[in-house]
Amino acid sequence: MSNLLIPDSAIVREVFHENDDTSTFTLQFTDAQKRLEYTFRPGQFNMLSIFGVGEAPISISSSHDNRENFTHTIRHVGSLTRMFGKLKVGDLLGVRGPYGNGWPFEQAQGKNLLIVAGGIGLAPLRPAIYYILRQRELFGKVELLYGAKNPGEMLFRHEYSKWAAHLSMLLTVDDAAGFDWNHNQGLVTGLFDKMESVPENTVVLSCGPEIMMKHVTKGLLARGFQSGQLYVSLERKMHCGVKKCGRCQVGSKFVCHDGPVFAYDVLENEPAEIIGVLGRE
Amino acid sequence: MLQEDHPLVKSAGTVSLPAAELKEFVAALMQKFPVIAPILKGREYVFAQLEDAAQLADDYQPTILPAKKVLQQPLETVFSFVRQEAFAEDGKCTSLGEERICFVDHGAAVQKKVLFGVRPCDVNSFNVLDEVFCKDLPDPFYCQSRQETLIVAQNCVKPCRSGFCYYQQTGPGLQRGYDLLLTELDNAYLVEAGSDAGRELLALHPFAAAAPEMSLARDELLAATSRRLPKHILTRNLAELLEENVDHPVWEDLQRRCLGCGTCTMVCPTCFCYNVYDKLDLGLESGVRQREWDSCKLMEFSQVALGHNFRKGRQARAQWRIYHKLLYQQRQFGKTGCVGCGRCIYSCMVNIDLTDVASTLGGE
Ligand SMILES: Cc1cc2nc3c(=O)[nH]c(=O)nc-3n(C[C@H](O)[C@H](O)[C@H](O)COP(=O)(O)OP(=O)(O)OC[C@H]3O[C@@H](n4cnc5c(N)ncnc54)[C@H](O)[C@@H]3O)c2cc1C
Ligand code: SF4
Ligand code: FES
Repeated sequence: MSNLLIPDSAIVREVFHENDDTSTFTLQFTDAQKRLEYTFRPGQFNMLSIFGVGEAPISISSSHDNRENFTHTIRHVGSLTRMFGKLKVGDLLGVRGPYGNGWPFEQAQGKNLLIVAGGIGLAPLRPAIYYILRQRELFGKVELLYGAKNPGEMLFRHEYSKWAAHLSMLLTVDDAAGFDWNHNQGLVTGLFDKMESVPENTVVLSCGPEIMMKHVTKGLLARGFQSGQLYVSLERKMHCGVKKCGRCQVGSKFVCHDGPVFAYDVLENEPAEIIGVLGRE
Repeated sequence: MLQEDHPLVKSAGTVSLPAAELKEFVAALMQKFPVIAPILKGREYVFAQLEDAAQLADDYQPTILPAKKVLQQPLETVFSFVRQEAFAEDGKCTSLGEERICFVDHGAAVQKKVLFGVRPCDVNSFNVLDEVFCKDLPDPFYCQSRQETLIVAQNCVKPCRSGFCYYQQTGPGLQRGYDLLLTELDNAYLVEAGSDAGRELLALHPFAAAAPEMSLARDELLAATSRRLPKHILTRNLAELLEENVDHPVWEDLQRRCLGCGTCTMVCPTCFCYNVYDKLDLGLESGVRQREWDSCKLMEFSQVALGHNFRKGRQARAQWRIYHKLLYQQRQFGKTGCVGCGRCIYSCMVNIDLTDVASTLGGE
């Protein structure tokens, strides 16, 4: 029986500093065979290891079309993710995956898409955006709402002009002081008054801090969206990624296996005491 | 070929063992395999590898830690790694110019063994853990160990100190999941084989034929044990009761009393959660990744980066354990997460008792 908990090795090919505490790493498997075999769906994640430090779940942030290498965009918040911040081109790290379900493109085909992201939550949505751009004709209207603390915190800024040619974008920040900023200010939910998206025939993809997603779901339900149209990607502590360590459970679901993407109607009736703020209060 | 449960096959694997010969049979098993069995340690029983058949505690109260510790060990090394040139040849290595890292898989070597004297509740816990560890992407540690472990189970002819297995349909008589099954009768054990591997074990000792009355005696004893169990749990509508009573005052009461010590999860035979961490040696060139049993009752369990915790209050965690045992585990794996062994009740310092909680919810 092969030991599914032993990672493959990958080498850091490129490091891009998105902002003060977040970097995007381009990785490539050292094993040529593995490079050939490895595929993933937008919204899936890998377990990344620095040997001797630990392992954490990180979403894949690149296009699934690129079979040579892949990227991870990591915010350096804790003991392990700060060590990721020190990685240089040529360093080795461990990768297992891909795990999780990914965004529901089967349900979204032929429909309008509304994407709502906050902060680092744009990372798992970037592969979805690439997916849409690559086959734009499969979807109706596509709109992206993105909020961050300040303009400097916004991820993937150099790509926005390319995206904006194919989808509508609304950006907002909590605080623009010290920046030349001509977009919106305030919470991402404040953009609902400005967006063009309507409930009819629309699928919503959302990722960000859970309290943000709570307000997003509330705001959209109030605007006539149904909970079954709303998909959220959850973050939980994970120690295995393969439905064994039990750490990521929300009610009877395993976030690593049944998620991280959930239709909101699966969560909304579960008690908040047990599954967190997205549950029924 | 006859089905496993065909009466002819079954009777062929049913024999009698005079009580005085039990340890002889154990000694014969020890000639062939490591035998792990309950022994007395201080005032409590534990599963340990026998060095002498005389150590076997044939009439024992549930062990402190469940038998699952043999299959999912409290602490396991997942793999070890080293960053230098010369390294074990069985390792898998990656080289990149200067850098080279090699792994040794610790999930590979598993020895065949016998787990002797396991109670029905513990055997049923394996059936639950099989669903967790051996479906989809099988866990090499648990599943290989499981495959290589022969189960000699022992029916409970006396009630234990806090069990309620009868109500969870997990005891006191075992239905399936054993290679051999012992039932202690007056002066002899009824020994039943439940698998080909079990029938092979019968060749290790000159057993006597089982008299037909022995099966009857077994059924009577087990029925009597069922009636005399110290605890019962309300099972009718329990799922609905839990679903409807998330805000019941009983949870507030649990929160007040629970110390959050995690003992109840450590002694639970169906708890499977684990923590993972890396350890580096002093030279920083090699290290291990280990995993260790973990408890949802401890504060750090659900904490993610930036200190956010999805189950922060003790109430949330006290409630979570019981919901997981009595509701979610059933939904996740189609088998109840509570096998009725009563260990969590017996070992809780503040007498938190999930059968009481169920009764309170049911208005009893
Ligand atoms: C499916 C999934 C996908 C994910 N994708 C991504 C992704 O694409 N990019 C990404 O960056 N992350 C992602 N995450 C989150 C990422 O896994 C965690 O940030 C990471 O596990 C943290 O590990 P750590 O060891 O660095 O932090 P830990 O050290 O384990 O955790 C941080 C701990 O340090 C303390 N701490 C650290 N910083 C602070 C602070 N500022 N204030 C107070 N306390 C603090 C807290 O006690 C906290 O518990 C994802 C998570 C999941 C589940
Ligand atoms: S229920 Fe009892 S054993 Fe479990 S954590 Fe609370 S005090 Fe400890
Ligand atoms: S991460 Fe281990 S069970 Fe989901």
